[in-house]
Amino acid sequence: MEKSEHREFVEVNLLFFAKSREIVGQKSILFELPKITTRNLIIDSITKKFPDLQQISKNILLSLNEEYLDQDCSVTLKAGDELAVIPPLSGG
Amino acid sequence: MNFVDVVEGALKVDEITDTVSSTSCGAVSLFIGTTRDNFEGKKVIQLEYEAYTPMAKAKMLEVCENIRKKWDVENIAMIHRIGIVPVKEASIIIAVSSPHRKESLEAVAYAIETVKAIVPVWKKEIYENDLSSWKQNKECAWANNDISFDSKPVKNTVEIGTDLAKQKSQ
Repeated sequence: MEKSEHREFVEVNLLFFAKSREIVGQKSILFELPKITTRNLIIDSITKKFPDLQQISKNILLSLNEEYLDQDCSVTLKAGDELAVIPPLSGG
Repeated sequence: MNFVDVVEGALKVDEITDTVSSTSCGAVSLFIGTTRDNFEGKKVIQLEYEAYTPMAKAKMLEVCENIRKKWDVENIAMIHRIGIVPVKEASIIIAVSSPHRKESLEAVAYAIETVKAIVPVWKKEIYENDLSSWKQNKECAWANNDISFDSKPVKNTVEIGTDLAKQKSQ
């Protein structure tokens, strides 16, 4: 993704858990995203970077700073925010 | 008092019971989730749990707050174990004390259902034939509800079904 003068980017911490962690092969990375974006655009950016995640991309949620983004919504990111890929839960 | 934790190593029922016991209460209700040795005919040899620990604790505290809105309870403790959990051992213990038993019994049942739906913890079953499978709770709203999570073996890991069009709606 090219930076443009019209779009400001920020670097966030992106965490992967469970199945998504195994697919990506890393627990966390620094990831650059547009400052003003949406939940679905973030998922698109992540699956573009890690195409193997497409197999589970319809069954993941994102969390932003430990709160679920459980439907598409506009998102304003700050540098250092913590995003996480949350596959279906199986605790208990 | 609300006490939540995510820990490695065996859970101690006595200690957790003591944590919630209170002289003003006539009941302590416990739920102990334990690991099973079988899934659809396959022999499970061990289970591995992982958590998004800070968020898991925050969500468990949210469950505690919701319990207090619904029932008159005194103390609540929820401890989830992560890492390798051998078969038959406890993966989660929820303990609630209340002046009268009805409230703590109902609160514990609500607590485990809600934990399974919203607390970011994951379980992988390891089978005796070297296959393994990430599980998904039926209580989880974004689980794939059409295809078994472990229906498509690829390499050593059993894959999530790929029919993604029929995502469960909330």
